[in-house]
Amino acid sequence: MAANEPSRYLARSLPRAIAPSTRAQGPGCRRYASDQASTKASVLSDLELDGSLKATVTPVDAAKSFDPIAKARSRRAQLPRSRYQFRSPKYDRGPLHPHRPPPPSDPSSRLFVPGPFSLPRVGQTYESTVASDILTLCYVHNPPGFQPPPKAPRLRSWDDSSPYHKNRPLRGPRGGDVLRLLRKPITFNNIPKLDRITIHSYVKGAADNSSWLHVAGMAIQAISNVRVQTYKAKTSVPAWGISPGRDTVAVKAELRGEDMEHFFGKLVDVLMPRLKDWPGVKGTSGDSSGNITFGLGPEQVALFPEIEVNYDMYPPKMIPGCHITVHTTATTDKDARLLLSAMGIPFYGKIVD
Amino acid sequence: MSLHTTLRRTAASTTTKTPTTFICSQCRHATLLRRPKRPYTFTQLITLSDGSTFTHRTTSPLPIYRSTRDTRNSLMWNPSSNKLLNIEEDEAGRLAAFRARFGRSWDANTPVEAAPGADKDAEAQAKEAEEEEDNLLDLISSFGQEEVGQPKKK
Repeated sequence: MAANEPSRYLARSLPRAIAPSTRAQGPGCRRYASDQASTKASVLSDLELDGSLKATVTPVDAAKSFDPIAKARSRRAQLPRSRYQFRSPKYDRGPLHPHRPPPPSDPSSRLFVPGPFSLPRVGQTYESTVASDILTLCYVHNPPGFQPPPKAPRLRSWDDSSPYHKNRPLRGPRGGDVLRLLRKPITFNNIPKLDRITIHSYVKGAADNSSWLHVAGMAIQAISNVRVQTYKAKTSVPAWGISPGRDTVAVKAELRGEDMEHFFGKLVDVLMPRLKDWPGVKGTSGDSSGNITFGLGPEQVALFPEIEVNYDMYPPKMIPGCHITVHTTATTDKDARLLLSAMGIPFYGKIVD
Repeated sequence: MSLHTTLRRTAASTTTKTPTTFICSQCRHATLLRRPKRPYTFTQLITLSDGSTFTHRTTSPLPIYRSTRDTRNSLMWNPSSNKLLNIEEDEAGRLAAFRARFGRSWDANTPVEAAPGADKDAEAQAKEAEEEEDNLLDLISSFGQEEVGQPKKK
């Protein structure tokens, strides 16, 4: 019967001496629910009055006998190789787990990516010529004692014409709610540079046949040296039979550092001059915060030397087009365009800054 | 409590047994640290059309890539280069003559200037090369006799 069973909580709450051991349970020391009221006072006795510091007294014998160097010397054969190496745990079990993986920058970490192994030409060109050119071009001379005229605040305050304006959050900028990035004056320590390049390809045929996606992934990986990530559709396109959340339709590669510079050099020096009737990147492209996007069609992607070298590997119909976004650390499109045209990307048409 | 459970168990065994669906999603609050996948890359030497070279890392196994068309010989990157401008070759001047006779002003002017200029350039260059050799010989043979050498030149 349920009432006869000794409560688990009761056993825990009693002090060790008094608590009945669950194993050796005679009929005499049975406790009933009515008795629990009397033992409630002893709940506090569960607390340890001594701190944990007092309890941890290292036994002297153990400390004296611990001599790893002597133990290792007395060993005749070496331990297996893996015993001398630190192996990162396979799983990250959270910050409270005693066995934590090392940080990704540690070479023993599973997430460690070695490199960079080369000093790409694009980076060297940037350091030696482009950076100083941009710094010169963006120089604005202010005579000593010059005070810039005070600017209006970016977020406007409400005119107190209505009592309802009290405690309202500040008004957004005039002409739209978008708060543009601030452009700081370009000095030696914030010269715009390439931040990362994103290659994105939306494959419309991937909804019914996944081979399109595989081919697109391999092609993008070949041209970028980076494993691609796949993405599901966010919006429905009834004409192509794409529904959101179900169909994996896009691949994206994100290039940083060395990979990015190799790709950029290849793009500008080898691929762009080979494009037939290509006027350049449109002057109006850009997201007005320093990132410039342009697209390449399938026949243009096929001109990459990596794809051309084994063109037969890819089904010719399935070679994808892609959008290439060049993210720069510039905060305006004007600066980004200045940087990119200095690095060799031609722009055409009306230049919108 | 136990009475209740026994009762329920018997009831379940006597009546139809409902198929139980186990929720198989594992939850152990551990994230697998996946090793990053990186495609194999080779070092490739790219030779541009003007002979300049640079290396880069690429997935292509070709050790040397010779490009025939790149920034060094395309007009878009060299807008001031005369060599890359698409000027029609008109050595005999027949096109120019045709344009002078039948062409409009806008298309008569520019090529006439360019085409004979190119002809002259080629001839002049050849002459100059010969003259330079002569000059050098002159320099050796007649050092200090400049009055004699100058009329010979032109």
